[in-house]
Amino acid sequence: MTLPGRFLAWLRDTLLRMFPHATRPGLRAIGRPGPNAPVLLSGNFTLTVDRLTRVLRGRDAWLLVADSHGINVWCAAGGGHLTHHDVIAVLRSSGIGERVEHRHLWLPQLAATGVERRIVQERTGWRVGWGPARLEDLPAFLDRGQRVKHSERLMRFPLWERMEMALLWAPATTAIAAVVLWSLLGATTAFIGAGSIAVVIFAIFAALPRLPLWGGSRWFTYAGGAVVASLLAITADMALHGPNLLHIGVLGAASTIAMLVLSLDLAGTTPLYPSTINTRGNRFDLVLNAERCTGVADCVQVCPRDVLAMDGKLRRVRIQRPDACIRCGACVVQCPEDALFFRFADGRTLSPTQIRATRMNMLGRRAVVLPAKTLSTEDQAAAEAPRRD
Amino acid sequence: MSSYVYMKLLESTPERYDRGMRILSGNTIDGLWEELAKRIAGPGIRVLDIGCGTGGVTLACARRGARVTGLDKDAGMLAVARAKAQAEGLTATWVEAGVMELEDEVAPSSFDAVVSSLAMSELLPEERAYALRQAREALVPGGRLLLADEAAPITPLGRLGWRLRRAPRAALTWILTGQRTHPMDGLAEEVRAAGFVDVEEERAPAGDFILVSARRGRDT
Ligand code: SF4
Repeated sequence: MTLPGRFLAWLRDTLLRMFPHATRPGLRAIGRPGPNAPVLLSGNFTLTVDRLTRVLRGRDAWLLVADSHGINVWCAAGGGHLTHHDVIAVLRSSGIGERVEHRHLWLPQLAATGVERRIVQERTGWRVGWGPARLEDLPAFLDRGQRVKHSERLMRFPLWERMEMALLWAPATTAIAAVVLWSLLGATTAFIGAGSIAVVIFAIFAALPRLPLWGGSRWFTYAGGAVVASLLAITADMALHGPNLLHIGVLGAASTIAMLVLSLDLAGTTPLYPSTINTRGNRFDLVLNAERCTGVADCVQVCPRDVLAMDGKLRRVRIQRPDACIRCGACVVQCPEDALFFRFADGRTLSPTQIRATRMNMLGRRAVVLPAKTLSTEDQAAAEAPRRD
Repeated sequence: MSSYVYMKLLESTPERYDRGMRILSGNTIDGLWEELAKRIAGPGIRVLDIGCGTGGVTLACARRGARVTGLDKDAGMLAVARAKAQAEGLTATWVEAGVMELEDEVAPSSFDAVVSSLAMSELLPEERAYALRQAREALVPGGRLLLADEAAPITPLGRLGWRLRRAPRAALTWILTGQRTHPMDGLAEEVRAAGFVDVEEERAPAGDFILVSARRGRDT
């Protein structure tokens, strides 16, 4: 690759990685896979496919790249851009069936919000399993003979990833502050103000998950962030320019506004907390309709937060860590008995039918307009009923 | 997580898709749907709309008395299509399935006409080949195929102008509807290769819309 090309690729994979970037869907060989090599699937976000290829170096596998509109697997599945239809499409159009003798497909676990495993199985005859949640666990998973450990089902948020996220938030948040401060108070103060905000953003991400980001207590985090950023900036500014009320006021205001921007949905950009804007202030929680549960426990397998557990004695699932639930919807979509659903604080129900139709696409007005027009109240009532007809 | 901003800002709400399509085409899209329906639909004619989206063409055909089936992989779009049909009191069958599932959903020789608007360009070449073969299977002998899609002009100068004109629009398509389009060349050839006869290609006056019509031969 040429130098400018490399720079662009670097930019694409770092600062611009919140934008989709598509690579061609289809079949790829990793190493020298034979007719018995495992078949893995991923979306067609360029960064993911590159990382997969790197991580799997030295192993032999078939990689099916499904069309997820260049979006990463989790977001694509949650937004309805990676569904069983896309999986079936690549299974059939890639000709993988002629390359291998087995019929076993591994999907990334995080695709569970979008891909209904059973539909793929019924339509194609392929047996579909949930692979590890994170791609770095794939080599170990393959070496172990394609078995997933419980710990590989759970979302981690390692420091390097937290720093990547901070790197996404910091430029956007500080750029605006810098411009305003520059025009009002000059370059050095702008640099000091923006720098302090950036430092606090990195500090918040470094401290996760020890700071509250969900529920009312999240305001302690943001208020604390505003205070710390202001103090940092004001101290530095005083050392250079001496005490100046205007500077103090503007720097304090800039820090506060920056934290308000963060509070929009910092939580939603982590894999550890539910998004705060999706709910529009109307909180919803996972509900288990225990009478319907037959103990299939697909939900336990796909939950990235260890919220659900199988109760061996009752042969039924139980919600063991409700507070850890990030409302990703994976369990609701996968339950063959429709035993899981969400209930809003105001009593309305978000049924499995509705989630399967619109995924977790909630900012997209679904919760406001679509239900009344397209999904009857019967559908809501059905979710709460003890048995399905 | 990394496509978070994109996901939040450009989430593909079907309603936005509808509105976006109208803005993009300067309201000509309704006209295109009418035009397609006029050519194939009539009382009692069984029409399959592949990639029906929010049901623009499907419902235009239903208004002419056709017995329509709309197939799309996007459940959200279908929900809007269903609501539109209900509001107008039209009957239609809606099937949630991708193009690569045509074999599961459509019985051989069960349609008099197959239509597909702005969907063929969304597919990979191998998917398109499959879709066209399946469309032929789905038709009765003599049944009609009608495809509408974007295409590049033929002359080099026309092409250049078209590229330039299209750049902002392609960006806009993506922002407004979250979709990318890959305009089609050689669609008529692909239709012929799938075994259709009487293949005809027409261009809209502006040159960047292509209509391909064909028939399933009677000799099968
Ligand atoms: S319990 Fe919560 S976190 Fe776990 S899969 Fe269900 S919605 Fe997602």
